[in-house]
Amino acid sequence: MNKKSLMQKAAAAPHMVWSVLFIIAPLIFVVYYAFTDKEGNPTLGNITELAQASYLEVFIRSVCFAFLATVICLIIAYPIAYFMSKAKPRTQKILIMLVMLPQWLNFLIRTYSWMALLEDTGIINTILGYMNIGPLHMINTSGAVILGMVYNYLPYMIIPLHSVISKIDPRVLEAASDLGCSPLRVLVRVVIPLSVSGIVSGVTMVFVPSISTFYISQKLGGGNFDLIGDTIERQFQTAYNYNLGAAMSFVLMLIIVISMAVMNRYSGEDDGGVIV
Amino acid sequence: MNEKKIIELKNVAKSYDGEMILDHISLDVHEKEFVTFLGPSGCGKTTTLRIIAGFVTPDTGDVVFDGTRINDIPAYKRHVNTVFQKYALFPHLNVYENIAFALRLNKVSEEEIFERVEEMLAMVNLRGFEKRDVNLLSGGQQQRVAIARALINKPKVLLLDEPLGALDLKLRKDMQNELKNIQRKTGITFIYVTHDQEEALSMSDTVVVMADGKIQQIGTPTDIYNEPQNAFVADFIGESNIIDGIMLDDYKVRFSGHEFECLDKGFDKNERVDVVVRPEDVDVTKPGQGMLDGVVTSVTFKGVHYEIIVNINNFKWMIQSTDYVEPNQNIGIYIEPDAIHIMKRSEYSGKFGDYSSFSDELEKLSDASEEEE
Ligand SMILES: Nc1ncnc2c1ncn2[C@@H]1O[C@H](COP(=O)(O)OP(=O)(O)OP(=O)(O)O)[C@@H](O)[C@H]1O
Ligand SMILES: [Mg+2]
Repeated sequence: MNKKSLMQKAAAAPHMVWSVLFIIAPLIFVVYYAFTDKEGNPTLGNITELAQASYLEVFIRSVCFAFLATVICLIIAYPIAYFMSKAKPRTQKILIMLVMLPQWLNFLIRTYSWMALLEDTGIINTILGYMNIGPLHMINTSGAVILGMVYNYLPYMIIPLHSVISKIDPRVLEAASDLGCSPLRVLVRVVIPLSVSGIVSGVTMVFVPSISTFYISQKLGGGNFDLIGDTIERQFQTAYNYNLGAAMSFVLMLIIVISMAVMNRYSGEDDGGVIV
Repeated sequence: MNEKKIIELKNVAKSYDGEMILDHISLDVHEKEFVTFLGPSGCGKTTTLRIIAGFVTPDTGDVVFDGTRINDIPAYKRHVNTVFQKYALFPHLNVYENIAFALRLNKVSEEEIFERVEEMLAMVNLRGFEKRDVNLLSGGQQQRVAIARALINKPKVLLLDEPLGALDLKLRKDMQNELKNIQRKTGITFIYVTHDQEEALSMSDTVVVMADGKIQQIGTPTDIYNEPQNAFVADFIGESNIIDGIMLDDYKVRFSGHEFECLDKGFDKNERVDVVVRPEDVDVTKPGQGMLDGVVTSVTFKGVHYEIIVNINNFKWMIQSTDYVEPNQNIGIYIEPDAIHIMKRSEYSGKFGDYSSFSDELEKLSDASEEEE
């Protein structure tokens, strides 16, 4: 028994080393920088500096944009995932590939492509021009920023939803219609409750990168919509204020942890303990 | 049957990928009847049930419910409920909510839901299980929840697809009794699928024997056992010796080189027929004192009786007797006229009812399983 548990510990060692190196160590650095000044003396000054109106605005905007992007992703992704799971197994594999396909392109190139599409003299407005519509002002709006987030992170909503929905036993769905559920009611009463775990992981996988994203807002928002990610990047890249940047990262982490806790709590109450 | 017809299948056919799964079957089910589909794996029992439930649309033929053609009515609008083979309970709902599911769709008041769920729980002996997680119930308990869930809306017809298939023998027997009681109490028509012939015979009013997508015989359990229509039915229901015979005249048949008196008539003179003799209807005598003589090739103790294989004119008979005989012993056999049942020849003639391959069959089975590995 002892021997075995020792073996198990040994087997887990690489994972431990990995965690310490790449998760724990950066965290310690973030916390260290966040609570020290330039000379390395302990201080709360970095955190209190963030209470300024201009920073608060950035935080609130980031949370709102990420929230909106997540909700839109969920609304778009759910029907896609649902109908994907109805397809034949081979078709499903191809569809998953197609969903992931844009991710093979570099993130920067994807975002630049959207710039080309959305610009006032861009591709969309040119086409609309032929139909005597527009030009519509799309680039450098908050909508364009959120669109950029939705486009980039949508696959991370579709994939977990699809994987949960496709695992629902079709006989359970038949049982529901056998007992009198119209197709819509089957969806509301059985499919959605049984896919809560997929919704939770999809929301997490979209919300977290959305709230910490940078670059999207710079390119599609024209610098009008500073987000936390951009502000942090600036502290490290141009202002060289590591301490303030770390403090922002620290607060961002807190926001994420709190959001996730709230959501898990809420969904946990809702479904009475589905653990898939 | 004086009750009125509740379900009629008229010339229903279904193919999958060009293969005929149901070959134009017709069947009437009456109110309050307990009907069982019995047949080997893959013969189309589940498909037939799913056609009645509305999950499968037949290629041709009509499905009639209470006098109305329902081919185009979706499953959720049919007054038929199903107990699924693997129960298919809602994993996100507890026992109470699983059973209440159908009522919640119809805006039934909370008090009435409570009353009716409690009534159902009492019927299936699950009082006190309301709050339990269905995923943690035993097979027998899940089974009961599935039955209660399907019965709460008082359907006219309950479809049960091998509902006891996953249970152990003891529990099976108990549940058989319980199901039969529930059916009597509620007066609901049960259409039951099984490939266990004993279960079919002991529970049903009517047994529908199926094979190869066709109905082989419809009848009461005693009819099916005593008057099988062809070699398939005779072999599938219980043990049978099925011998080639010639009908010499009414009440007179010749097989194994001997002329027998029997109770069947109405065949052509010298018509070739299949003769069925059940193993328990054969009496063992001293050699020369019976109608046929043979050599015992094997004897197996089965508890109530011995199962004796006897070689008579190179045809191996199975005989069940409470008296022990020695292997290689010469014995005679005696058959009463009412133990002989004559059947018309069919596509199944000569395929069943000879026990010479009895032990080979087992060897073949074990060969097959080795190949799979
Ligand atoms: N959706 C389907 N697509 C293709 N073939 C099918 C489909 N459903 C059933 N079949 C085929 O139809 C035949 C009959 O199936 P069915 O499930 O009705 O058999 P069964 O009598 O219920 O057998 P079992 O006792 O094993 O449950 C089988 O050969 C099966 O492979
Ligand atoms: Mg079946």
